[in-house]
Amino acid sequence: MTIGIPRALIYWKQPHFWETFFKELNFKVLLSPPTNKEIVEKGVKVSDPETCFAEKVFFGHIMWLDEKCDWIFIPRLKTNAEKLEYCPKFFGVPDLAKILVKSPILTETFDEKKEKFKKTLGRLGKKLNKGQKETEKAAKSAFLKGKELKEREKKDFLKQIEKKGKKIVLVSHPYNLYDDYVNLGIKEKLEKLGSCPIFIEEVPLEKTQDQKSKTQNLGYPKFHWEFGKEIMEKVDRILDYGIVGAIEISSFQCGCDAVLKEFVEKKFKENKIPFLYLLIDEQTGEAGIQTRLEAFMDTLK
Amino acid sequence: MKKTIITFARWGNYTIAFKTLFDQLGLEVIPPEKTNSQTIAEGAKIAPEMYCFPLKVTLGNYLPAIRKGANTIFMVQNIGGSCRQRYYGVVQEKVLKEAGYDINLLDFRATPKDIYSTIKKISGASTWQIIKAARFFFQKLKLIERIEKIAQFYRPREIEKGTTDRLLAESFSEIEKADKEKDFSKIKKEILKRFSEIKIEKNKKLPKVALVGEIYTVCDPTINFDVESKLGRERFEVHREMDITYHLKKLIFPWKDWIIQRKINPYLGSTVGGHGRDAIYEMLNYVKKDFDGIIHLLPFGCMPEVTVRPILEKIHLESGIPFLSLSLDEQVAEAGINTRLEAFVDVVRNYHQSKKI
Repeated sequence: MTIGIPRALIYWKQPHFWETFFKELNFKVLLSPPTNKEIVEKGVKVSDPETCFAEKVFFGHIMWLDEKCDWIFIPRLKTNAEKLEYCPKFFGVPDLAKILVKSPILTETFDEKKEKFKKTLGRLGKKLNKGQKETEKAAKSAFLKGKELKEREKKDFLKQIEKKGKKIVLVSHPYNLYDDYVNLGIKEKLEKLGSCPIFIEEVPLEKTQDQKSKTQNLGYPKFHWEFGKEIMEKVDRILDYGIVGAIEISSFQCGCDAVLKEFVEKKFKENKIPFLYLLIDEQTGEAGIQTRLEAFMDTLK
Repeated sequence: MKKTIITFARWGNYTIAFKTLFDQLGLEVIPPEKTNSQTIAEGAKIAPEMYCFPLKVTLGNYLPAIRKGANTIFMVQNIGGSCRQRYYGVVQEKVLKEAGYDINLLDFRATPKDIYSTIKKISGASTWQIIKAARFFFQKLKLIERIEKIAQFYRPREIEKGTTDRLLAESFSEIEKADKEKDFSKIKKEILKRFSEIKIEKNKKLPKVALVGEIYTVCDPTINFDVESKLGRERFEVHREMDITYHLKKLIFPWKDWIIQRKINPYLGSTVGGHGRDAIYEMLNYVKKDFDGIIHLLPFGCMPEVTVRPILEKIHLESGIPFLSLSLDEQVAEAGINTRLEAFVDVVRNYHQSKKI
């Protein structure tokens, strides 16, 4: 039995987690290749023209997996452990994928408002005819893998921080940051221009603040989106590290970023840090981005 | 302290009822400007570029009212569950302040308790006064919704063209003028009587078209280029389920959502925010009721509606019912919409004819 996992959107929220989980349960895992032109074109063709670019890429990956595996795994992520919601577009993704592909879709709703994550995993295991113990063991090693990754990210971050050079923070969702085709290799470009880019995703948070108990004015609303809260807190934190510039990358038609951008921009402007807002979509040209990055670098002290 | 002068988000013909609510509470109100291309352009100028259309429209409506002296804005949050509507209040406050307007934005949740406490705080009215004002508000709202529904029935059947629309406009201005609750039942009777006197062609079987989609664009004729009466004049009976009462009912009685979820389970397994599920449920219903066409209205890039659109298209392919999806934003021109509507009208007529044979 082969389970296909699209290397886009939800994958980047917990990279390696699902891969490890299914491998431990003795399934073959087929991971779609890193995003390329063909995948993007396919995705753009099948998805709704007004949906966000990240989702179009995601559907491209699903189309690539179609008929190459027995199941395509697409979880329905609703709320996380802090009872904060994911993007509403994630809610409908499995159903929309069902319309597009011939392979059956393997899905399970992860809603921690109603049920603990581990319990849902158990149900997923049952769907695949695996016992309670097996599932738990697989989940454990998957979690370990996730922890390992976090550690590595932290080390990475500290190394990056200690480097000398213009530190620029890249603010975006993980699926825009880590997918080099989607963001047109922005990290490499920035390095070539002589700066050291830092991913907002890698900024360590000692402990997340409880939004409810906070009474002082944070300068942003209480987000009900997990990434909203996370990114804002990390932005607050990164300000202590002496960065000289900030770039926000946003997929075209990302509804959540329309809200988020307002407050991210405000934060950086208040601290007098130059801010560049880049929109990416299937038509973004490499040359255009390059020009804007060069101009931005010139504004930095 | 400066005197509080209120303005609020405009919402189609229901604006009249909202104005009454604040009037009855003894507050000074400057109603938001009627939506036109100028207000839309003005709103879009200061609004975040990527934000959805209703935010830009309502911003544009506030601005003339603010210039006339309004200093407090009422904005409800959390209408749409997971969608961006939740942040309208904070974002509007931010952009208005950045544009140099000194305003106080009252952002409250759409629960009876929160609404009550906000109103109480701002107006200082007694509980009895609030109840009375709310009662009058609901009476007006109900009448507005009712005559809108009646007009949908009369418009395609009227013998003398334009009677219904004229009567509708007259009635709205009369409802707006009414300021005493005790006179209202008389006015109501008179309006309903006048509608019943419209001469119509009886027993005529007309093609039926339904409007589904995002509540704000579906309900506000100034935003959707008056799709409802345009289709009516083409002799189509137009139906729509979305209105404020529908939304309020769903807020108070959650089981409506459970029923909807059960019905649409084969298509969508979860809520997607806003009224995404409702659009699917309504469309399935209309297909069952043998309608001749569906028009899906949404603001450009609306997250829930964009998510469900592929599903609506699937239903359209399965059932063969004509389907037209119109995304609206500040760039859309009336001529473009008209052309698409004309083509759609032909498709619907053909579909209706082919069913008879």
